[in-house]
This record gives sequence, structure tokens and C-alpha cells, in this order.
Amino acid sequence: MNAKTGKPEKEAPARETPFYRLRLFVAGDEPNSVQARATLSRLCDEHLKDCCEIQLVDVFEDYQAAIDHRVMVVPALIVEAPPPAKTIVGSLSDEGRLLAALGITEKGERS
Amino acid sequence: MEHGNASKQTPTVKVLAKAPTHIPGLDDILEGGLPRGRTTVVNGGAGSGKTLLGLEFLYRGALAGEPGMFVGFEEPVAQLLENAATLGWDLPALERENRLFLLEGRIKPDTLMSGDFSLKGLLAAAAGKSRELGAKRIVIDALEVVLRLFDTPQQVRNEMHVLNDWLQTSGLSAVLTVRPPSRGGASVYEDFFDSMGDCVIRMDARVLDQVTTRRLRVVKYRGSTTGRNEYPYVITPRGMHIAPISTVGLRHKPLGEKISTGVSRLDEILDGGYRRASCILVAGLPGVGKTILASLFVDCMCRQGETVLYIGFEESEAAMVGNVLSAGVGLEPHIASGRLAFLTNFPEAMGSEEHYFNVMARIEAISPRHVVVDAISACARMGGQHAAFDYLMRLLNACKERGITVLFLNQLSGSADFMEISGNDISSLVDTVIFLRYQQIAEESNRLLQVLKTRGSRHCNQTYEYVICDDGVRILDVYAGKGEMLTGSARRQQEELDTLEAQRMAFEIETRELDLKRLRLEQEQTAKSKKNHNGSTQRPQPGPGSPPRILPKGRRSEP
Repeated sequence: MNAKTGKPEKEAPARETPFYRLRLFVAGDEPNSVQARATLSRLCDEHLKDCCEIQLVDVFEDYQAAIDHRVMVVPALIVEAPPPAKTIVGSLSDEGRLLAALGITEKGERS
Repeated sequence: MEHGNASKQTPTVKVLAKAPTHIPGLDDILEGGLPRGRTTVVNGGAGSGKTLLGLEFLYRGALAGEPGMFVGFEEPVAQLLENAATLGWDLPALERENRLFLLEGRIKPDTLMSGDFSLKGLLAAAAGKSRELGAKRIVIDALEVVLRLFDTPQQVRNEMHVLNDWLQTSGLSAVLTVRPPSRGGASVYEDFFDSMGDCVIRMDARVLDQVTTRRLRVVKYRGSTTGRNEYPYVITPRGMHIAPISTVGLRHKPLGEKISTGVSRLDEILDGGYRRASCILVAGLPGVGKTILASLFVDCMCRQGETVLYIGFEESEAAMVGNVLSAGVGLEPHIASGRLAFLTNFPEAMGSEEHYFNVMARIEAISPRHVVVDAISACARMGGQHAAFDYLMRLLNACKERGITVLFLNQLSGSADFMEISGNDISSLVDTVIFLRYQQIAEESNRLLQVLKTRGSRHCNQTYEYVICDDGVRILDVYAGKGEMLTGSARRQQEELDTLEAQRMAFEIETRELDLKRLRLEQEQTAKSKKNHNGSTQRPQPGPGSPPRILPKGRRSEP
């Protein structure tokens, strides 16, 4: 079940905002996963409109992806671009930490 | 697994199905293997070999037709493959054939935390992959590493419950390995692990007298009996190896026929010699001639074409061969012909398990008929009396199972009591005890030999003089008259005196007998003359009144 929120605009980076390629691993509809999904799409709408691509992976549907990406704990958000690659695990309830990990400062990147 | 509700009508005992580990010795202890379709918890510290046990369970299972899956949270998969390769296990080949899968479960170092999470990723990957493989076995290694990510004991317990539920429904024979907290602090999950496992095994590597010793114990096994002891184990170049002592005596071969000791007089004393497949212990102080006595036996057996393994803890092969050569025992031809093999190591060079493994590898390789250990007293340096006992007991057990004669030399430290002489704890497995000691007479130190025990055979309890010559040894009778025991020159002197005394007495007896004869003849003659002359005429008595006493002083005669 792959879902895309946000529009991939690969050739048109608005201003200096880098393009974000994100992959969110969830486990069906368990509460942590639902919360992570909601938080991520809201933050992307707020901060990364038109410059991010989110791929959603349900580990119960695609366990091979979990194996390939070494995802043992879910939810897990893998930031594949921009470098360096990093993983953030959890329901993403700590938004400040998530934004810091993504390199987004409240003032600088707000559109 | 069904529970006892239905068993009211049918009181049949349901035998627990087991998944053999195929690890030498472990299945003996587990009476068949780990519980099939259930969870086993292996608890062990760093370096205890728990990961290896898990991997070997999968590897040997896969070879035997049960695919398996490994999830490692600590060691990188590449490292596991490398370690396995050194043991000769081709895991990549099994992976290509879909009989094995190694899942990298390590949390990536660039991971950050934000909010709550669960182990569902692990469950999804394990469930999906094991279904794909048709797996029968799963090993989750170093589970505590991933559990440390959770903040509260409550979260840990929740995750464990979910994992446990999944394992129970999966039907997999599972092994979870966990390391107990290293700083001795109470672990929040240890109790939970122990209750979660149907079988709990503890492994540890401890250092005893500076030698590393590994031990394994089955703490619990629901629905099955097991060996309850602590069992030593080794990690050999082919994998794990456990040697249960519990089977001591069950598979021993009976004592065989008499074989020569290499000393004809000792053969007589022992009513024919040592018995094949028996254990002979030769005890004595340093230098009393234990090694020489053993070398005569070795020489004799090699001459008969039988192979001997000589395990030396005290001297090098060259030193031992040189020393016995001075007593006229030449062992070089036997080494050249391959009849005699040496295994020399310092006892402290390694733990008792490794010593045991080494000796067993040699025994398997050359199939000796006889094994000499010089000396068992040195085995304490493998890591204490307990390690020595383990080693000797297992070696003796293995030899008795194979019908190998064992000659143990025991170097005594000083004024030894009987227990030390007879080999302390192993004495019940020793069939013959020969005690060599010194006797101090005047300026001289002589050697004595005594047979203290011979099982299943007649023997002579007497003490003999044991003389080391340029051409072997001589066993002589000691002087045992007049309430004392004399050896050496004292014995020779006394024997000489005794010989002279005997000769003197013999001469005296002869003289007296002659006197008596003469007296009798005289009386006869007197009686005759009385008859003829009516007793009127008396003849004068012939001869002197007393017989001459001749003492053979200074006379020497050869016996």
C-alpha cells in the first residue's frame, strides 16, 4: 500500500529548499503508526509543500521492504534524501526533534 | 500442544516432541533436543558461545532438512558468516538453497527516537520470511539489545508478550538468546524470559585459576527430564561440543585379557599382568621411576604392534625419550613406525575442555589401544582440582568406552595419604594401583614397589624392591625376616649373614646327627657284648665325651 502525499516536483526546487525523499514504515492501523502518518503529512504540508515525496510502507504487506531497510521497530521514518540518510523511529510525537532531524527550522523554511 | 483436559479418559502420557540440536553431547543432556514448536531461552554472558549455539542449532537443523531463520541484533551478519566459515559451515550455500536466512536486525547507528514504537517490524519480517522458507526453526540473538530501546519495563513486557504470542502460534522451534546485565544489576526482563521459555539454558565462561572454563546448565525444561548438572563444553574447530559426565560407566567395555606390563616379575605379581581396557594408576614421588615403568609397558605394547598415545604434561617428547633411554628403553623406533604418538602440552596452556578436545581428536585420529597420562597430578594446573577431575573423568570415560587401556602416572607431593595415592576422586574408576616409594636405610635410598589394589584379579600384596638398571628394571624380594624390611646393600649384607648362619647351623646339625649315630652304634655294641658275656666283662667307652664344635667362620660359599 503505497501512498503519496505531496507532489514530486523533481526538476523545480522552489528557492533553496532541498528535495526530501521520505519512506515511512508503519504496521497496519496500530495507534503509533496512525499517529506517525498523521504527524508526518501535517508537517510536510506545513514545511515541505511541493518539495517532498513520502512513500508509505506497511510492514505486514511488504515484509521484504522491512528486511531490505533493516526496519525492526515501527513506525520508522527513513530520510533517504537529502543526505546524510537517517532514521527516526517512533510515533513522531516529538515534533521538535523530527524537524531538527529533517533540518527544518521553524522560521527559516516556513513558506 | 494439548493440555491435560482430555486426559481424564485417556491417561496416556503425551511425549513432548523435540527438535534435535545435532550438537554432540547436548542432545544427550536434553534427552533428545529442544522442545519442538516451543521457545527456548539461552542465557549467557559475553563470550559464552550462546550465539554459536543458536547458529549451530539452525545450521545442523537446515542440514537435517529443517529450514531456519536467524535474527541478529548484535553481531553484523557478515561477521557471523565469517565466524561460521572458520568452523567449516557454508551458510551462504544454505541461504542460496533457501534453507537458511540471516536477518540483519541491528539498529542503524543514525537512528533517532521520537515517540513510542513497537517490534512489529521484526514480527512482520520474521513471520513473512519464515513462511516463505517454510522454516521450522528460528533464532533471535541478543534480544536484550533491541529491548534496551524501550523506556519503561512496562513497554518491554508488552513487546515480550506480543513476541511470545507470535512465537506460540507460529509453531517454530525458537531459541532466544539473552545476555544477563553485566554489572550485576537486576534485569527487568530476566524473570520474564525465564517464564517465557519452556526450556531455559544458562551458559557461562568463567575464569578459574586464570584458565577459561565454559559451563552449560539446563535450568528448566517443561514436560521433560534433563541432565541437571553443569556440563563443561568446548568450542572446537567444528562447532560446539559438550561432554556429559552423567553417562559414566554405562557404556564401558568389560575388562579384557591380561597383557604384559613389560616387566616379567611384575606380570607374576599381578597374576599375569595388567588387564586390557583397565585403568592402572602408578603413584610415587618424583624420580621414583614411574615414567620408566610406563615406558617399559609402552615398549612392550609397541613391539606387539599396538598403538600407544603418550600424553605428557611435564616434559617434552625428546626429554622423556632421552630419560628412559638411560634405563635402556629405546622408544625412537616406535615413534618412527607410528606405533607411539606423543601429545605434550603444558597444562596451563588452555582450559580443561580444550585439553580434552585435543586428546579426543588424537584418539579419534590414531585409535590407540593404550593411553598413558604423565602425570595426572599436573592436571590441576588446567584450572584447579575441579577442572582436573573433569578432564580425567571424561578422558577415562571415553577410553573405557573404547576399550583403551589407561595408564595414569600420579606424582605425589610428599607424605601422601592413601586417597592421594589412589588418585583422589577418580579412584572408583581405577582398577589397579601400583605404589612406588623410597626406603631410607643408613646412607642409602632404595625403591619399593607395592600393588595396593587390583580389581578382578588375584595379586600379591607383598612389597618388593624396585631397582632401576641400565637395561630396564628389576623387581626383587625384600628381606622381610626378624620383623623388619631391608633393601639394597642392607638387604644384601643381611642376606649374606643369614646365609652364613644357615650354613653354620646346617653343619652343627650334621655334626650332632653324626654324634647321635655313633652313640646309637655304641649302645648297640654294648648290648651285644652284655648278651655274649653275661654282663661280666665291661668294655671301655670309645671316643671322646663331647663332639667337636666347628664354626665355619670366614668361610664363604656361593648360593
